Amino acid sequence: MPDTEQEQRTDPKEQRDRGYLVICWNDPVNLMDYVTHVFQVVFGWPKAKAEHHMLQVHNAGKSLLARETFEKAEHYVHQLQGYGLHATMERDQ
Amino acid sequence: MKFVPDAKANDAGGAPLVFQMNQVEKAFLLATLQLFPVLEDSHHHLSQDPGATGPADQRLLQQAMARQRQQYRAKLDDFFRAQRRFFTNAQEGVQLALTAEQLEWLLQILNDIRVGSWVQLGCPEIDSFRRSGLTPAQTRAVAAMDMSGYFQAALLEAVK
Repeated sequence: MPDTEQEQRTDPKEQRDRGYLVICWNDPVNLMDYVTHVFQVVFGWPKAKAEHHMLQVHNAGKSLLARETFEKAEHYVHQLQGYGLHATMERDQ
Repeated sequence: MKFVPDAKANDAGGAPLVFQMNQVEKAFLLATLQLFPVLEDSHHHLSQDPGATGPADQRLLQQAMARQRQQYRAKLDDFFRAQRRFFTNAQEGVQLALTAEQLEWLLQILNDIRVGSWVQLGCPEIDSFRRSGLTPAQTRAVAAMDMSGYFQAALLEAVK
């Protein structure tokens, strides 16, 4: 399960490699319950965490969902976009 | 349409998730689903920064989305062919029985229709969107967006 809070526990090399951010952007069309459901399915998050990120998307315009390697970030973006969410991967500056 | 949490599976074809609807809702659901796919493959972008990913990665995303739409269209065709497997007549109206997996792809299909219709309308703010003076095509897109949202909300009741 991706979790940006778990980063300290990963080895330094993996930490360096995890240079891609998976971000979900707000849009006015996806239903809030749907977004929560998608986060639960894609990331395996409990409902409270999924709702927290959904509200962050809604209120702040975006939410950082994961910091990952290129391949994993790409995999998550494919899944999220398959559900119709506005999600992208961005290089961590 | 509403989720019936305590429906017995055997009453509706053995699938665990049962939804009650009337004949009009069933007709609207089938008409809405027939619109799939609505969202264009070109809608998908891997990154906001073109330098963060390559053209091959972008192509891969659009190909994956196109493949998924083909797979869902095939599932939907099966759904339409085998309606008796999914719908059973109830005392009042019709019951739709779905497995968790079927509910998942129906949600995704409905969301494709909702988001695709919204894109066709020019990605407006929903709350401030003026619904007067629309062209026939825009009126159809608004109806598709609203209907797909209505059925999505009903399906989501089952996963809450």
